[in-house]
Amino acid sequence: MIDDIISLTSSTLIYMVPLVLAGVGEIITERSGVVNIGLEGIFVLSSFTATIVTFATGNPYLGLFSGTIVGLLAGVLHGIVSVYLRGNQIIAGVGFNTLAYGISIMGLVTIWKQHGASPSVSKIPMISLKIREGLTFTISPLSIAAILIAIGTWYWLFKTTSGLKLRACGEDPKSAEAMGVNVFRTRFYATVIGSALTGLGGAYLTVGWIGQFTRHISAGRGFIALANVAFSNWNPLMAIVGGMIFGFFDVLSIYLPIKIQLIYPEVKITTLAYLFKTIPYIGTLAVVSLIIGRARVPRALGKPYIKE
Amino acid sequence: MGSVQFLMKLRERIRARYEEYLVIVIETLASAIIGFSIGALVLYILGFNPAKIYLILFSKGLSNPDYLLSKSTPIMLTGLAFAIPMLAGVFNIGGEGQLYIGALISLIVVTSTHNSALGILAGMVAGAALGTFKAVLKVYRGVNEVIAAIMLNWVMYFLTLYLLTEKLYNPQIPHESIPVPEDARLGKIPTPIGDIRLIFFIAVIASLVIYYILYYTNIGYMLRVAGLSPKTAKYAGFNPNLAIIYSMALGGAMAGLGGSLLLIGYVYSIDTTMSTLYGLGFMGIGVALLGRNNPIGIIFSAIFFSMLIIGGEMIELLAGAPPELADALTGVIVIALALPYTYRMLISYMRIRRMMKK
Repeated sequence: MIDDIISLTSSTLIYMVPLVLAGVGEIITERSGVVNIGLEGIFVLSSFTATIVTFATGNPYLGLFSGTIVGLLAGVLHGIVSVYLRGNQIIAGVGFNTLAYGISIMGLVTIWKQHGASPSVSKIPMISLKIREGLTFTISPLSIAAILIAIGTWYWLFKTTSGLKLRACGEDPKSAEAMGVNVFRTRFYATVIGSALTGLGGAYLTVGWIGQFTRHISAGRGFIALANVAFSNWNPLMAIVGGMIFGFFDVLSIYLPIKIQLIYPEVKITTLAYLFKTIPYIGTLAVVSLIIGRARVPRALGKPYIKE
Repeated sequence: MGSVQFLMKLRERIRARYEEYLVIVIETLASAIIGFSIGALVLYILGFNPAKIYLILFSKGLSNPDYLLSKSTPIMLTGLAFAIPMLAGVFNIGGEGQLYIGALISLIVVTSTHNSALGILAGMVAGAALGTFKAVLKVYRGVNEVIAAIMLNWVMYFLTLYLLTEKLYNPQIPHESIPVPEDARLGKIPTPIGDIRLIFFIAVIASLVIYYILYYTNIGYMLRVAGLSPKTAKYAGFNPNLAIIYSMALGGAMAGLGGSLLLIGYVYSIDTTMSTLYGLGFMGIGVALLGRNNPIGIIFSAIFFSMLIIGGEMIELLAGAPPELADALTGVIVIALALPYTYRMLISYMRIRRMMKK
């Protein structure tokens, strides 16, 4: 029993990292008034880049860095499109998701001649705490980093002047402009920072956790991170909680079939596992539809700012 | 005096319209050009000759009319599945899941009843039900339709995989589903350009029906008003929430129809990796946007995207380049289509320069 709790907790802390990082990043972006639904695409593209870089250099930290840079560049693209060119933010995000998937799979097929998955690459070592013989508590250093980033972001957004200015751009850009805030620049940087954090989360998917790039590596995680933003009510501290809840659903989808197989060896689990894979999505939808009613959206969210 | 004024007005109107059309043409061309340029760049980086690849893409993509039009059928319908809710102000990116459930339910119904019409109807109802569910979540629980759509897409993906591998697999060919019975399949009809699959004509008729509903009926009017301004809709006595539900139901029915036509009139069975279905819903978003959410435009835009898909398959066969080029191109085209303001700025910039020259 205690073993199960320990292993479920440590898995949850490992699984939650991309959801927390992308969730916090998207909170920064949305608090400034820009929606980026291209999180899924950033996950795919940055995890792919991290895999290539780690494959070539053997250094997973370099992979993590390169993935963050890819996220940052995606943010520059989305920032230009949605802030300066006043594009439709949802459509641009949908387009980016398709583009990122296309480029990454093209790269996968061209570089490794594989349609499903890349070869394994080296990973960032996990931190293990030995509790007793045969029982260790394992988490990634990125789990701690993600929580610290979320706390730091909360402090920045709610306790500092620059955070207040950023939120003003998402609530009432005209007043922010009157206050002397450069709305365009603030929104642009908020988009870039948010996407860079998402890129970090995407790179973690391969070099921090799974160890290889696969066709469905993200599998809707970018959108679960979006659900996390709404769940958290645009508060980075709550995004940690949301990341744990949504991450836990993901853990269950892997853990339950294994457990069932152990208890009932006669059950044919391979096909049944497909049904368990629906848990994170059904769980996310259930949580979102039960809780979201009280959420308060930043008032100017998704509306391009037009200077008079 | 009056007639001169009238002529002046008419000229003004044509001029105003002319600008609208110019924006449409520039927007469409620019996004295609940007798309193909970035595609060329990606190909070049990956070590292919872009000119050679594009030559294959266009020549092979258009070489077989039946194949071209058959492939355009499902994406035409998932295009409508995006466009109808879009006109009512809702983003339906769940065409993917609606297409899966349409194909799946059709397969179940058609194998048990041997009646293609019943199978198609069941597929449409299934798609519509899924669309309505999302609309209800949005209207009554405030759930963002984009999040709901993606979650349900993945639920449908794994549910379909489960049923295909566990219940509906073909005992003779285990990696395929049981086939649609011979007597329930839709065939081809002869035309001047060769035999064309019936499903293409059904999809075109569906597009025309949707056009009629959107522009010549009360429901269509209500949808479009609600999409342009929910407040106006309220003043006019329409319920904007009802518009959301109707549009999602109608859109879902179209994606479901796409799934069931693909199954009953073209592939006849689904492989257990679902590669026959995967991505067709997402492709519909690009189809709808390039067709400017107009059902008639969508017919042509679906054929264009069908050429991209077929070209993608051909470049894999002939040049060893990955077929996902079609996805990359679609993505760039969609991003470029998100920028109407930019093209308007470009036009006014050109006009100012012309005036300066004078």
